[in-house]
Amino acid sequence: MLTCDHYLMPTSLEEALMLWRGAPSGSRLVAGATDILPWAREGRAGDVHLPSLIDLSRVKELCGYTVEAGKVRLGANVVYQQFLEDETLRRHLPAMPFCAIWFADDQIRQQATLAGNIVNASPAGDGIPPVIAMNGEIEMARLDGDRIVRRTMRVAEFLRGPGKTALGPDEIVTAIICESMEGYGGSFQKVGQRRSLVISSVCAAAFVKTDPSGEIFEDVRLALGGVGPVPLRLTDIEDMLRGQRITRQLVADAAGLPADRVASRTRRDYRRAVVRGFIEAAIEDALVACGAPQPGPAQREAAHV
Amino acid sequence: MSDLELEMHINGRAVKRRAAPHLRLLDFLRDDLNMTGTKEGCGAGECGTCSVFVDGKLVKSCLMPVGKANGARIETIEGLAPKGGDLTEVQRAFHKTGASQCGYCIPGMVMAATSALRENPDAGIEEIKERLGGNICRCTGYTKIFEAVEIARDVIAGRLSAAALEPDPAGNSFIGNNVRRLDAPSKVSGRLRYAGDMVMPDMLHMQVLRSPHPHARIRVIDVSAAHALPGVACVITAADVPGEDGFGVFVHDQPIMARGIVRYVGEAVAAVAAEDVLTAKEALRLIKVEYDELPAVFDPEDAMKIGAPVLHDYAPTNITKHIPIRKGDVEQGFAEADLIVEDYYETQQVEHAYLEPEAGLAYVDHDDVVTVISPSQNITHHRHMLAKIIDKPINKVRFIMSPVGGGFGGKEDMIYQGMLALAAMKSGRPVRLVYTREESIISTAKRHPARITYKMGLKNDGRITAVEFKMISDGGAYGMSTEGVMRKAAILACGPYDIPNVKIDTIGVYTNNTPSGAFRTFGAMQAQFATESHLDICAEKLGLDPFEIRRRNMMQDGAITHTQQTLGKVSIGTVLDAAETASHWEAGAPGRGESRSDLGGEGTRAPCTLGARFAPAVAKVKKEVA
Repeated sequence: MLTCDHYLMPTSLEEALMLWRGAPSGSRLVAGATDILPWAREGRAGDVHLPSLIDLSRVKELCGYTVEAGKVRLGANVVYQQFLEDETLRRHLPAMPFCAIWFADDQIRQQATLAGNIVNASPAGDGIPPVIAMNGEIEMARLDGDRIVRRTMRVAEFLRGPGKTALGPDEIVTAIICESMEGYGGSFQKVGQRRSLVISSVCAAAFVKTDPSGEIFEDVRLALGGVGPVPLRLTDIEDMLRGQRITRQLVADAAGLPADRVASRTRRDYRRAVVRGFIEAAIEDALVACGAPQPGPAQREAAHV
Repeated sequence: MSDLELEMHINGRAVKRRAAPHLRLLDFLRDDLNMTGTKEGCGAGECGTCSVFVDGKLVKSCLMPVGKANGARIETIEGLAPKGGDLTEVQRAFHKTGASQCGYCIPGMVMAATSALRENPDAGIEEIKERLGGNICRCTGYTKIFEAVEIARDVIAGRLSAAALEPDPAGNSFIGNNVRRLDAPSKVSGRLRYAGDMVMPDMLHMQVLRSPHPHARIRVIDVSAAHALPGVACVITAADVPGEDGFGVFVHDQPIMARGIVRYVGEAVAAVAAEDVLTAKEALRLIKVEYDELPAVFDPEDAMKIGAPVLHDYAPTNITKHIPIRKGDVEQGFAEADLIVEDYYETQQVEHAYLEPEAGLAYVDHDDVVTVISPSQNITHHRHMLAKIIDKPINKVRFIMSPVGGGFGGKEDMIYQGMLALAAMKSGRPVRLVYTREESIISTAKRHPARITYKMGLKNDGRITAVEFKMISDGGAYGMSTEGVMRKAAILACGPYDIPNVKIDTIGVYTNNTPSGAFRTFGAMQAQFATESHLDICAEKLGLDPFEIRRRNMMQDGAITHTQQTLGKVSIGTVLDAAETASHWEAGAPGRGESRSDLGGEGTRAPCTLGARFAPAVAKVKKEVA
């Protein structure tokens, strides 16, 4: 059970930063609250009492998104359901609707934020592989005297290990900034123990862009989650595919490469088996999203003979 | 602690209240406003019994700190249909199809269905399933729920007449006709109050201290600091039990709280009744228990070995119950067989996971009658046991069965009612205990795990000549229903088959695991899993069709079972015919692989996918690109 002395709801970034700077030790920032409440239960953290909880969901500077100069700047309060329902976000972040549909359920997606998912730094965080595949950056703010100062860094560098990030003690995450992937096909693969509300055992995100003929990989982005302490970007496979003619065999060959990079402490063999299929499916689904025909089971099998 | 000042509109009415800062929207609705139509099934966002609309969006109120709802428009199950007014189409459709069974998930399910149809009035069945994905039901298997949502959708859209929501015309018999449940309106509207929804004036809240050890001697329990804490009304331990302390379905081996020894992790050791849950939790932390750990045993076969730790003095071999059944001469039966097949089967421990965690409310009435309200599946038996435990004549003990939000056998054991009664007697006030989901999982009975060795002799034509069946079952720390489960497993061990020579042994064993108890089928499932799996294996070895091998061995009308029961009418033949037709079975022995033509046909569920709601958009993009 989570208890606190104060539940604070600042409405501006400056107010939030002031409260955060002045908060007694042990206080926590709250975004969607969908992770902190289950965390403070028996079997995980148990009963937890915190001095202050600072809820950021009404900080106006953290709400909404902008698309500018090929980048999408997602305010830290953007929730997962927006990736499903917002036409503009779907166009610019084409893997995110597929990621979102596998994330928790419709109700939790109304509260859970992408920024919160990244800050939690779970090795299985669903939002992280697509964001690192989009060369995502994270923007943080803190007070320097009375002045708000911001810094950004790559999400791939921000994540330091399970639950560990580069966020400073007085900083608040303000935005996630991704490259616009307009024109790419996106896809997301996930396996867990049920359909809704499941933590990934393995997940994979892909973005694929083909040349105008639809026969050449113009660009490929791939990332894996749930396979080690932090999600993995697969740049060598991207390089291997970029500029090549699209063949089922090439995709199958590429999919065989990353299995040995699975470094999870548990169920390693299972995850290795899954990864091969996931990379192939992720690329194929992204190609289908670009307009390629859906391969049948026979075609899928043929590449593995 | 600084209270929040809250203002919101709930079901169209302005509400202005102060509330503790840590409350969840769920707590605020249920505890502060007494709006108990919204349920708590897990407290962790997994089950959806707490779904409500906040500013038009469906959320799980157990995951929403109440501060987030400040200033918002809230709609709960109570607000869907105005008091005394008509139920909504969704609620009426749930009533029509029988979608509400225990009813505990139903308010949340109705809210999720309402949300799905508000978000997309034309949602197809796949999209409806997706949008209800955050809500769990344990009774219905979802089919009736999905059927209800589709009917409601079509009535709202005008594609189906409102008459579709009316009851079907009564037939001549209840059998074969749809009959609506009498209690469904109270369930689909959230009006039905389960034990955890009930309150009484001056009511105390109970919390339970549980054992961290699987097996330990309690040297001392010091409750003085807990008792001294302001707000605590009483602290109880086994020392407070006035009568003969012991409950169980067959053997009364379980004290209502650990008496000198703890035998599994999660066993109740002491309990506190206080003005509120937070005070009771704080008091638990002040109780000092000193344990001397004892060797523990976790495997039923280890537990039967000489020298294994003994759990109960009356059972020095740790065997709770051994049921042996002998019929004919198995050795001769095996000698006559053309084929002998031996194999080994295991089933696991299973949690019932009813959506309603255990809850109860006890009080001593004006005539000194100790009264316990709880979703007990066996109130008469509980009443008799409790009378002995609290040393009262039977007319001074009353059990009232509250609506059972799913039981499946898991609420047959009197696990917490004794503590409630004791606390009510000691404090003189009503006392309520509501389990968390975690507490329910850690401390209540599970399905018996089973290890079954099977030996079957058959003629080449598939006729069974002999069966030797041995099941060893982990009964956990206390007897509960183990004896009955072993009996039922032995009675049904060979399935509905007429077998001349039978040797059956079912053995329930004490270990320091969570106790095993009653669970749907009561031992039959474990035995059937082995028998039916074994028959398929035998069919494959003999090159026989699995239906055929069963028909050659099935009992007929008038058969006498291996426990000497005469069966007037035997329906397995009809059942096999129906199953064969429904499954579009292509006759043949198992092991035909891909060559068979009856795979993936009508009624086969496609693999799990998601994204039905944007499939049209994806299809459109594909078309444009093409």
